[in-house]
Amino acid sequence: MSHKVEILLVEDGVEDAELTIRALRRYKLANNIHVAEDGADALDFLFCRGAHEGRRFSHPPKLVLLDLKLPKINGMEVLRSIRADERTKAIPVVVLTSSKEERDLVTGYNLGVSAYVQKPVEFEQFSEAIRQIGMFWMLINQALPPGAFAASNAYGD
Amino acid sequence: MSHDVEILLVEDSPEDAELTIRALRRNKLANEIHVAEDGAEALDFLFCRGAHADREFSHAPRLVLLDLKLPKVSGLEVLRALRADERTRAIPVVILTSSKEERDLIDGYKLGVNAYAQKPVDFEQFSETVRQIGMFWMLINQAPPPGAFVASNAQRA
Amino acid sequence: MTSSSKAIAAFPLLILTCIGTLSYWSEVRNDQDRGWVTHTLHVVEKLQTLRIDITQCETGQRGYMLTGKDRYLELYQAGVTQVRQDLRELPDLTADNPNEREAITRLDPLIASRLAELNDGIWVRKESGLLAGAEAVTRANNGEKWMGQIASQISEMRDTEAALLTSRLETAAASTRKIKIVIVGGNALAILILLAKYVVIRREIDKRNLAERSLRLSNERLERRTAELSETNIELESFAYSVAHDLRAPLRHIAGYSGVLVQDYASRLDEEGLRCLGKVSDCAQKMGRLVDDLLSLSKIGRQELKFQNTPLDVLLEQAIDDVAPEWAGRKLEWQIGDLFKVECDPGLVQQVFVNLLSNAVKYTRTREHAVIQVGQTRQNGERVVFVHDNGVGFEMQYAGKLFGVFQRLHKARDFEGTGVGLATVQRIIRKHGGRIWAEAELDRGATFFFTLGAPEKNTSRAGKFPIPEGQMHVTQS
Repeated sequence: MSHKVEILLVEDGVEDAELTIRALRRYKLANNIHVAEDGADALDFLFCRGAHEGRRFSHPPKLVLLDLKLPKINGMEVLRSIRADERTKAIPVVVLTSSKEERDLVTGYNLGVSAYVQKPVEFEQFSEAIRQIGMFWMLINQALPPGAFAASNAYGD
Repeated sequence: MSHDVEILLVEDSPEDAELTIRALRRNKLANEIHVAEDGAEALDFLFCRGAHADREFSHAPRLVLLDLKLPKVSGLEVLRALRADERTRAIPVVILTSSKEERDLIDGYKLGVNAYAQKPVDFEQFSETVRQIGMFWMLINQAPPPGAFVASNAQRA
Repeated sequence: MTSSSKAIAAFPLLILTCIGTLSYWSEVRNDQDRGWVTHTLHVVEKLQTLRIDITQCETGQRGYMLTGKDRYLELYQAGVTQVRQDLRELPDLTADNPNEREAITRLDPLIASRLAELNDGIWVRKESGLLAGAEAVTRANNGEKWMGQIASQISEMRDTEAALLTSRLETAAASTRKIKIVIVGGNALAILILLAKYVVIRREIDKRNLAERSLRLSNERLERRTAELSETNIELESFAYSVAHDLRAPLRHIAGYSGVLVQDYASRLDEEGLRCLGKVSDCAQKMGRLVDDLLSLSKIGRQELKFQNTPLDVLLEQAIDDVAPEWAGRKLEWQIGDLFKVECDPGLVQQVFVNLLSNAVKYTRTREHAVIQVGQTRQNGERVVFVHDNGVGFEMQYAGKLFGVFQRLHKARDFEGTGVGLATVQRIIRKHGGRIWAEAELDRGATFFFTLGAPEKNTSRAGKFPIPEGQMHVTQS
């Protein structure tokens, strides 16, 4: 009954997106998944602007699954923008990419990624990875409660 | 060191430490687990000084499980110190605490914790939580490579 | 300004107005008096002219009597014309004075007679010559008599006028003096009143200063008190936090080690042993929940409400989501009516919904077809939210205990619970200035009603309880 988006999947590959969503739904880990097909749309979504103006900062997704190779604005830039703004800084961002480049790993961690997962090639392993991601980030991890994002602004550091 | 420490468990309660390690071992998630019983020891360990002067930054643990209420130096202060230094900034830290207080959540995310998990009272749930943490962070997550723990990183974002 | 102040302020204004009026009037009077003076001088002058003109007649006539020359005759005739003119003008000048007019009527015949005499004399001279003329003059000895009478009459009239003028001038002086006194007196009075006003105002200022100071003092005291309370609150907060944290740890260990025993030593324990261990674990669990509930209950008491205009439908939706795990695998029908927007603390009111729905879910557990209704209704002009379930209900005679801390109306054997949930709800509702109450029937279900006290915005149409078919949104599991 909830209309709240739980996962923002930033993925331009149609098949990857579909398989990811299937896995998440199969294990009943998330119902409301929004797909952004490029970095610009992802940022519009998270910053409640453009086509997503009606959204509120106080109700961010519980998890952002972020591919790195994206049209318009690439994954690292998206990550940088998310971490740079107080209103979005605390949203869990898990990079989910086929890249095995060490450089990407280092950059990702330097930019403050929450976790970094390489997409397995093999389908079973892929499903399992998604399941583990879902189980940890949707069930175990404590995200900031709604409205706390506004409060977090009040505590200057 | 012949065997790299995989998990640094920062926990002042011996019982909690024991139950946590049990769950991790039972599920064969980690073998090399080091316990630091207060914040100061945790920092010595991670900054390769004091009693742990023989450690190397490039051999950082894959995961730090961090309790918040600690003697000497608190969990949040440990986190702050870690994130402030390039040589330790990329180490994945998961807060594992009994507290679900919003204040702690906000502070943790503000300081850039990777994830935040609450210790359930129920033993089964507790075990499951630790298992999920272990599974994700030891098996699914890509830990930062040694190159991420170098000062004046050429890849600095 | 107080009303008496205003009255006092009016006085000087009044006085000044009077003084102004008096001054003006005094000026007008002065003008009039000046006018009178001029007038009197005119009359006196005219009388004087008359005398001269009569003398001119005499002179002219005598001269002609003696010399017979026309020159004297012309002088006499001019004089006569003048006299006649003067006599014509005099009555107008003395129009204001009846005495004078009477004097003129006496004067007229005298002058007329004398003129007639003079005229006679001239005729004689003209006709009969010098000697006859001289005789006529000698014969008219009473000419002097006439002249004397005329002169004295004229003098009298002059004196009268002079007296009149004097008395008028005196009156004028007297009234001018009076006016001067009034003006000076009035000014003095005005000044006195202004001084009095000044004194009154000073006193008022002093009084106000005093009041301000005492207000400031009591404000400072209030602030100190508030700061103290704030500190106490913070201490309580950290106390509650520590307590909760420190109590949870041993509980976890109790549950933990019992769990270990069950996991790894089950083979060495008989059924009873395992059951006991299970009990140990359950009890630890229960205490854990208790600690959590108490912590939130105490927090609500200390929390400041953050009011926002919130649509209750949104909070309800979220709450239904939150309790979803609690009825997983069961058949449950939700009947939801429209709710309204209201000024409230959204986080806390959501907790109210969560607690009430959680109870509804729990106590309908035994039902084949569980139904939970949430909607709004109107009672005594107030908007009321209700949560109704068709569960086991409770006995109304114990309704008073519903909201007590740790009070329960069902056996722990039948339904678990800490007895803190409804106490929390009540505290939240009360903090909003609202009320909460319940109606139930054993084995038929229970309904919880609450208001949120605060004024509403955007009132939508009032709902009904129970919700009519057409107005429900129904979801089933």
